[in-house]
Amino acid sequence: MSTVEKPDVNSGATTAKPVPEPRRRFQAGGLWYTAGPLAVFIVFLVIVAVLQPSFLAGGGLKIASVQATPILLVALGQAAVLLVGSIDLSNAAMALVSAVILAKTLGSLGAVAPLVCLVVVTLIGLINGLLVVYTQVPSFALTLGTLGILQSAALFLTKATTVYASSNTEVVTWLFQTFLVFIPAAFWVAVILAVVFWLVLRTTPIGQGMTAVGLNETGALFSGLNTRLIKVIAFALSGFFAGMAGITIIAQAGAASSFGLGSDLLLPGIAAAMVGGTAITGGVANPINVVFGALIVALIPIASAAIGIPATAQSLVYGLVIIIAVALTMSRSHAGVVK
Amino acid sequence: MTTTDQPSPVTATAPALEVENVTKSFGPVQALKGVSFRIARNEVVGLIGENGAGKSTLLKILTGVHQPDSGVIRLSGETVRFRRPQDAVANGIGVVHQEQSLLTNLSVAENIAMNAVSSKDQAIRFGVYRWRKLNEEAAEVLNRVGSSIDPRTIVSNLSFINRQMVEVARALRVDEVTHTTPVVILDEPTSVLERNETEVLEREIRRLKDIGSVIFVSHRLDEVLRICDRVEVLRHGELVAHRNTDSVSEDELFHLMIGQDSRAKRHSRDKGGHRPEPVLAVRDLTRKGAFRNVSFEVVPRHTVAIVGSIGSGREELCRAIFGTEPFHSGSLLVEGKQVRSWSMREAIGRGFGYVPSERRVEGMVGGLTAAENLTLTHPGKSRAGLVLKRRARNDIAKEWFERLDVRPRNPGLRLERFSGGNQQKVVMAKWLTAENLKVLILDHPLRGLDPGAMETVAAQIRAASDAGTGVVLLADTLEEAIEMGDEILVMRDGEVTARYDLSVEAPTAVDLLAKMV
Repeated sequence: MSTVEKPDVNSGATTAKPVPEPRRRFQAGGLWYTAGPLAVFIVFLVIVAVLQPSFLAGGGLKIASVQATPILLVALGQAAVLLVGSIDLSNAAMALVSAVILAKTLGSLGAVAPLVCLVVVTLIGLINGLLVVYTQVPSFALTLGTLGILQSAALFLTKATTVYASSNTEVVTWLFQTFLVFIPAAFWVAVILAVVFWLVLRTTPIGQGMTAVGLNETGALFSGLNTRLIKVIAFALSGFFAGMAGITIIAQAGAASSFGLGSDLLLPGIAAAMVGGTAITGGVANPINVVFGALIVALIPIASAAIGIPATAQSLVYGLVIIIAVALTMSRSHAGVVK
Repeated sequence: MTTTDQPSPVTATAPALEVENVTKSFGPVQALKGVSFRIARNEVVGLIGENGAGKSTLLKILTGVHQPDSGVIRLSGETVRFRRPQDAVANGIGVVHQEQSLLTNLSVAENIAMNAVSSKDQAIRFGVYRWRKLNEEAAEVLNRVGSSIDPRTIVSNLSFINRQMVEVARALRVDEVTHTTPVVILDEPTSVLERNETEVLEREIRRLKDIGSVIFVSHRLDEVLRICDRVEVLRHGELVAHRNTDSVSEDELFHLMIGQDSRAKRHSRDKGGHRPEPVLAVRDLTRKGAFRNVSFEVVPRHTVAIVGSIGSGREELCRAIFGTEPFHSGSLLVEGKQVRSWSMREAIGRGFGYVPSERRVEGMVGGLTAAENLTLTHPGKSRAGLVLKRRARNDIAKEWFERLDVRPRNPGLRLERFSGGNQQKVVMAKWLTAENLKVLILDHPLRGLDPGAMETVAAQIRAASDAGTGVVLLADTLEEAIEMGDEILVMRDGEVTARYDLSVEAPTAVDLLAKMV
């Protein structure tokens, strides 16, 4: 046999034939993953406004942003930990401990008390991180353990009652008494922290390292990154944000207890991080989107009450909206196997 | 399930597989620009092309992983559309993947049963395995490819060649479902095999020919010529030529693939008179169960090639030198000074680099962009204090993309989207960007690369060596070790059994082999 030169079937491939414009199915591009949570939030707001026109006029957004503030803060910490491929189940308990410490020390230490809180809780987060890194216990199990320990600590410190911040409350109360565009200063502080966090992720080696560790820890390690330090930093950040959340609890309620305000932040925090596009598998987080995630999560119960959904069905609505929102905002760029 | 448009009468003369004008794009990258070919019954067709030519994309379309943007696929004259991999299987397309896809913690029989194909002997009833039937069935399937592996063996206990046989057997089962000529796709089945194992596989492929049609994808052109009846050449997403294997030479195929003559000159061994001080001295290094009392020196501008078969401990040795795994006794002297604590970070800080063989897991962070990967270890100008500079990073990446001919020329794409050869170029560049690269440890740097990428990467290794880096090389083949090494260390069962200074005497592959086994 001799060399076959261009028979009929191959002619189409060998000669440069104009290729038809490829048909494409709907592909959510990069823009959607950048703007998705904002879009979902706006759509959600519009739906609520249509169903209950008095919601926005009646200060619904103000209430939502007040509610969203502690959720946003713990969610930012959770996003940091999820980004490196771990999870922090103890961050809400850390927020509570922070609130208890602040309530107990505000009277004696005044303006220094919030700083003490932040340092103590950041250290707790740091210890979480060190334990995860050096004992190799999966973060889910380890932080479940510290969650229990911290809850006990909160009960012990409060003697199972409510602890009131007696004096010097003006150090923190301004956070929810000063408003800018109908939204309390506390929320703006959280937003500023989110923007700073976003900048850190985008422009610093630490931020790049956190993303790299979340995407492929082994690859990051073999590239010479200090993966242990990076993970410890993520957990310490979670502690820091939980400390901030604790401060806002006292600023809002003036008191802390193991069952009062802030005792149920864990799941809303995780939900807000995920609605904000954070991947539970690691490597993907955008703190600015977590802001909208927190707003959506905080808005659901308020809005469903305003619309008049019966109390018995409110959890149902909450669940459905969370599922839909995460389905819309999650990044599928690394999809394939989703945990 | 599969949609079959108007089942046309199946004629005996219809080709087993026909692909007509198939196109596929990923975002801005057009991977296939209208590909057409046919494969007759009982024909073995080779598919060759550089990394990134579109081979993987074409195979993924044929196996239902991707859907084409346009174009038609026909099987025995019938138009088919695969929406998912199971559809391809149900239509008689079996595939042996490049990276082995067996679940290593299960038995051979379970792996064979898992191929989503319904079981003819009801070995699975009500979702429950009937073990005896299952094993009998697997034995029968294995028998068809002439293999006598016990179906109850756990896959992780099998050698690579036996795993490959299991994959082939599993791929073949597709004809039980369709009762038509199966089309079996072998995607670089030999890249993980040793040479004698390759021969076994070659025999099996010739047997497959009697049962069905075969598409054989390989980078080893000599194999393609031996095994296939016909070769299709893919370049930049188009089929640019096809040849009958009895009328074409390896050189011609190479040129058709590359599109130009890029075969570099042989490595010159003239290193000048004096031998520089060693940058790394390994003294009596021992890791229990892996290697014992290994000593050698790595000298700037020289390459130490370590050869040995599986179990020789050479991989473990390299990993110990890079600080990935600990060693129990012995010492490492870097530039004359003994190291105290040794870790990867320490090694990288002292100017070491390591290109691992597990590229996707260890060599790179696939979800980061190529530019980020390139500057991850040595950011150079892209980092100023605590700030990373995007523009500087992209400038660095663009320069290296140009130098290493990385395609597509888009450093902003995630590295996982590049083909294997182009990924390897970026992984190499990650170390080459170091200002003071002293020791470069290469674990099978050319494995699975097409000839073009191989030339580029090999040239970069030589360039780094010429610039003063000492290289430790675990080569794929003995020929590669002899070609690229200045010194060859032969290892067997964790010990050095021979060493050759190639400036004095060049051993033959047979010499080396004698010391390896």
